[in-house]
Amino acid sequence: MEEVFVPAVGMAMDNVVLLEWLKNPGDQVTAGDVIAIIETDKTTMDLTCETSGTLGAHRYAINSEVPAGQTIAVVLAPGESE
Amino acid sequence: MTTDSKWGKETLRQMLLIRNFEETADKLTLRGKVPGGMHNSSGQEAVAVGVMSALDPKDVIATTHRSHHHTIAKGMPVNIVMAELFTKATGCSGGRGASMHLADVENGHFGGNGIVGAGVGIAMGAAVGIKQMGHKKVAVGFVGDGGVNTGRTWEAVNMAVIYKLPLIIIVDNNQYAVETFVERVTGGNDIAKRGAGFGLPSFTIDGQDVEEVHKYTLEARNRALAGEGPTFINALTYRYYGHNVGEKGQYRTQEEIADWRSHRDPIDRFSAKLISEGALTQADYEAMINSVAKEIEEAVDFAEKSPLPDVSTILDGVDSGLLGASK
Repeated sequence: MEEVFVPAVGMAMDNVVLLEWLKNPGDQVTAGDVIAIIETDKTTMDLTCETSGTLGAHRYAINSEVPAGQTIAVVLAPGESE
Repeated sequence: MTTDSKWGKETLRQMLLIRNFEETADKLTLRGKVPGGMHNSSGQEAVAVGVMSALDPKDVIATTHRSHHHTIAKGMPVNIVMAELFTKATGCSGGRGASMHLADVENGHFGGNGIVGAGVGIAMGAAVGIKQMGHKKVAVGFVGDGGVNTGRTWEAVNMAVIYKLPLIIIVDNNQYAVETFVERVTGGNDIAKRGAGFGLPSFTIDGQDVEEVHKYTLEARNRALAGEGPTFINALTYRYYGHNVGEKGQYRTQEEIADWRSHRDPIDRFSAKLISEGALTQADYEAMINSVAKEIEEAVDFAEKSPLPDVSTILDGVDSGLLGASK
């Protein structure tokens, strides 16, 4: 199971805003796919997955604030459950 | 030359420990566990371990913003380093400094710092003290390829030469000053030649060969102890990750990184040499990798479980005590 998370990339770890989900729960995803778009205090950023599998539940709604470091969804390998 | 088996194994283990520490800390930083950013030294292990293995524990070092590898090689336990990255009270700087301010003055570690090119000046100051007090030890100042384009570095080199100070200057030359390739910003494009212009022995060496780094440092240390003054060493190395964790890194190609990793990796090279010489078995090597991983796991656990500094201690260490703020 891969956790897709908001990376803490700046010196200060502020919340980000989840702008858009590009994949839905149950979708088959491939490594490198953009799962969601987030907005930091400086820019917008794509969050990609590193493995292929089935996307789990959206853990945050569009336009909600997400703390840096938090998992927004998981990618499940065959047979895995959330 | 055949490597001494005991030294070789300890040296290899140190490099593995640093590599695992950095790769682990990188992931934890992305997860928001390391406030204030962090600079990953993965790829540069041989410079740190080669230098430190040639020093005496009482020798002094002063380093840079990228200092985890120097600090671990200098002998600071990894749990204390990790706790400082987490800004926990059990860290070497009491959780005040995080990644960039690792220090242990009593054990000769005069600190990392966030000022480009500051390390050589700090070490030079220590070398003045060593000479004045007549101690039989040396100081080592680390600087990066960006820092060699700062005036303060060369002021310190010059002073070390004219006073014949027991100083070793190590350029931990990972070839990129943040996003800028060294050749684009280095007039004359020969850092060792620039050093030689100040009138001291000056060398460019293979910083991915831990034994070469060790040998040159040992010779420099012997010269310094003999009263012959400082030595300048430009060690060519490479960092595998971005300048800071989370950097996008669009200023160099993935092929370039892969080439350094696959052909010149200091750990792969040295482990292969030890195995081919019979100083290390494949089973020993795997056991070593596992034991290092366990040590880092324990360090993360220690850092996670350690408390943050108590807020009532916030003024501790702020002044010398004269103003009454510090205890």
